[in-house]
Amino acid sequence: MKGIVKAFPGVIANNHVNLSVKAGEIHALLGENGAGKTTLMNILYGLYQADSGSVYWKGEKVHFHSPLDAIAAGIGMVHQHFTLIPTMTVLQNIILGLKEKGYPFIKITEITESIQALAKRYGLAVDVKKRVCELSVGEQQRVEILKALYRGAELLVLDEPTAVLTPQETCEFFEVLRRLKSEGHAVILITHRMAEIMAISDRVTILRDGSDLAVMNTQDTDPASLAKLMIGSELPERPVIEPHKGDAAPLLELKDIVVKKERISRLAISLQVYPGEIVGIAGVDGNGQKELAEVICGILSASQGTIQYDGQDITKATVYQRFRRGIAYISDDRHHDGLVLDMNLRQNLMLRKYKLSPYTKHGCLNRNKMDEFSSSCIGKYQIKPPSPGIKMRLLSGGNQQKAILAREISEEAKLIVACQPTRGLDIGATMQVRSILAEQRNRGAGILLISADLDEILSLSDRIAVLFRGQLMGVLDNGAELKTETIGSMMGGRPLAEGETTYA
Amino acid sequence: MEQIFTLAFLTSFLSAAVSTAIPLAYASMGEIYSEKAGILNIGLEANMLAGAFCSFAVAYTSGSLWMGLLGGIVGGLAVCMLHAFISVRLAQNQTICGIALNIFLLGISSYFLKILVSNNPAFPQVATFPKLAIPGLSAIPLIGEALFNQNILVYILYLLIGMSQVLLKHTQWGNSLTAVGEHPRAADTVGIRVYRTQYLAAAINGMLGGMSGAYMVLAQLGVFTENMTAGRGYIALAVVIFGRREPIRAALAALLFGAAECMQFRMQALGIDLPAQFMNMLPYLITMIALLGSIGKQRDPESLGKPYIRDAR
Repeated sequence: MKGIVKAFPGVIANNHVNLSVKAGEIHALLGENGAGKTTLMNILYGLYQADSGSVYWKGEKVHFHSPLDAIAAGIGMVHQHFTLIPTMTVLQNIILGLKEKGYPFIKITEITESIQALAKRYGLAVDVKKRVCELSVGEQQRVEILKALYRGAELLVLDEPTAVLTPQETCEFFEVLRRLKSEGHAVILITHRMAEIMAISDRVTILRDGSDLAVMNTQDTDPASLAKLMIGSELPERPVIEPHKGDAAPLLELKDIVVKKERISRLAISLQVYPGEIVGIAGVDGNGQKELAEVICGILSASQGTIQYDGQDITKATVYQRFRRGIAYISDDRHHDGLVLDMNLRQNLMLRKYKLSPYTKHGCLNRNKMDEFSSSCIGKYQIKPPSPGIKMRLLSGGNQQKAILAREISEEAKLIVACQPTRGLDIGATMQVRSILAEQRNRGAGILLISADLDEILSLSDRIAVLFRGQLMGVLDNGAELKTETIGSMMGGRPLAEGETTYA
Repeated sequence: MEQIFTLAFLTSFLSAAVSTAIPLAYASMGEIYSEKAGILNIGLEANMLAGAFCSFAVAYTSGSLWMGLLGGIVGGLAVCMLHAFISVRLAQNQTICGIALNIFLLGISSYFLKILVSNNPAFPQVATFPKLAIPGLSAIPLIGEALFNQNILVYILYLLIGMSQVLLKHTQWGNSLTAVGEHPRAADTVGIRVYRTQYLAAAINGMLGGMSGAYMVLAQLGVFTENMTAGRGYIALAVVIFGRREPIRAALAALLFGAAECMQFRMQALGIDLPAQFMNMLPYLITMIALLGSIGKQRDPESLGKPYIRDAR
């Protein structure tokens, strides 16, 4: 790909980007969120049209008007958010859109055989008769790869493939990649995880702010210099965690809480959070994390069990009552639950407090007081641009997240439920959010940190609880010698055995 | 009361129920295609009215029933493609567009009717498709008369129901259509042409909706009157939901609603002592009960009613 330019309203996503990939190599595409990796790949796959620049495939200039052209040329793409139809079977998903022999009817036995042969060749075991919604995320990914291979893909583009996998699944996934490579396939791996690049890739191209900065052989480089290239400055320091102050009464105590959604138990849990500690909730996305956060904040109600908070039973308290007692909630979905994107920054900052004095008096809003509060938030959290009247939608992800933190965290916050607080943020913003959380912990707030990023959990938590299908697999004390394999297998559903040692 | 249970009564009741169910079945069959592809078209009433008026106008001026049928199909198609253009190409709100078309067609069809009949003192009428008894089958007691002594449009519908059932449930084309309604981005990434599929589904919806209206004119009444569909388009939407977007289930659901509507007339004719207003409520009451009964039993296509924009971030 040469000199690719693509602009969206307000941003230039790709600015004269070059990328070349050889047959039989695993090529990593490294860059922060918003560096233009996915846009570039969508252009290669024909989903977007480049404003200028050209794509060469096997030495010839090509133009892909739609994914159909790219597929015909032998390019397959696995998107970060899978493009599978949950209600259809694996087989139906794999052959979707193809005109196989016998079209329009489907010769199930023949197709099953050819899929299974393909699956065996690449070590991608999966049951073709199952519906996709019954599969684990790892299995769904295998289906996506099979789908591309079944269409004869020679080049496979994988967008953030490991973001949703447990450490074990990642290992298995790397095996598949090596198998693909040995069969002569080229792979483009989009990621921002250094360790993975070092482990699996042959070459790496670094993107920053929509331009390609460097191409290098993986063995000639190291994670620190890659990181420096990627973010354009030295890596910010890790937040300092002071030793845990110890044995007060629990701030939050969940006793045999059961949450049911659509008549299925999504959560059955008992857990304590003490003041001045961070309890990390590890686990693959969708194992009850959201339900856990929402039941504590009062958005979901528990069908069984009790919630004790600060010495009182709050099982029946409303969201607002809980907030007034000092429970802050950082939602994992900024756009959906966390903010009102079409309101301005000031209004979003005031969402929790507008009813309270001095912001409201005699039923009327006090604009001056609100301005004062917003300005202090903007200053303290360095929200950019610093204009309270700006539409929330126009802020970057990192600044939107800072606005949520500014609104939720204040001196009165005793318990902070932080659900994926750094999802989708670049490294700079991530570090800032983490140090804010560490600060709050050191101040004496109890924090429940729910994250799919195991590194985040390991670097911040005092204790780590692992959630799998709505149940706790065990609670571990965090320490430098904690084995990630133990947490990994707990994330995969193996409960912690009695008296098992978790340290190396 | 005992009149209800005689064979003769039941036979004629069933026959009438089937006949009443046909427009509902035609319209809902079309809507199934549309909703499977993710387009929620509330404007069935508009499709039917367009089909009814055009079939009447063409049949009246040309004197040919088949030309009338063709006119009805084209009329329904035109209105439905307008809806598709607004919801697919312009990515506008499908519900509002459907409602607007319903109201618009109500007005414009009455207006054109006035123009059409203004120089004709006698109220114009067209012939209707004759009944064709299928030898053997129509002699089956009770149901033979109802199912197999009907006009040609009914038999065409039987074929369409069977074809649709196979097409939607057992073919690759049906899977593609479902994929477009469930997850258009996924469909796009495997090379299914999302917009073309949606337009095609809308075209099928329009043609079937047009036939639904044409049936009322060319097989039932022989005339076009103002607002002659009288809410049947909305009932057809309920039929789609009650039939869980499956052609055969929907056909049976249509029959249930058809029976309810006939019951209303029969009970009045029998002089059963209930206020007429209650009778008139019956089909709609059944609609409400049917919808309550299907709560939680099915799920809508994931992106039903949501426009797909390929270049969106």
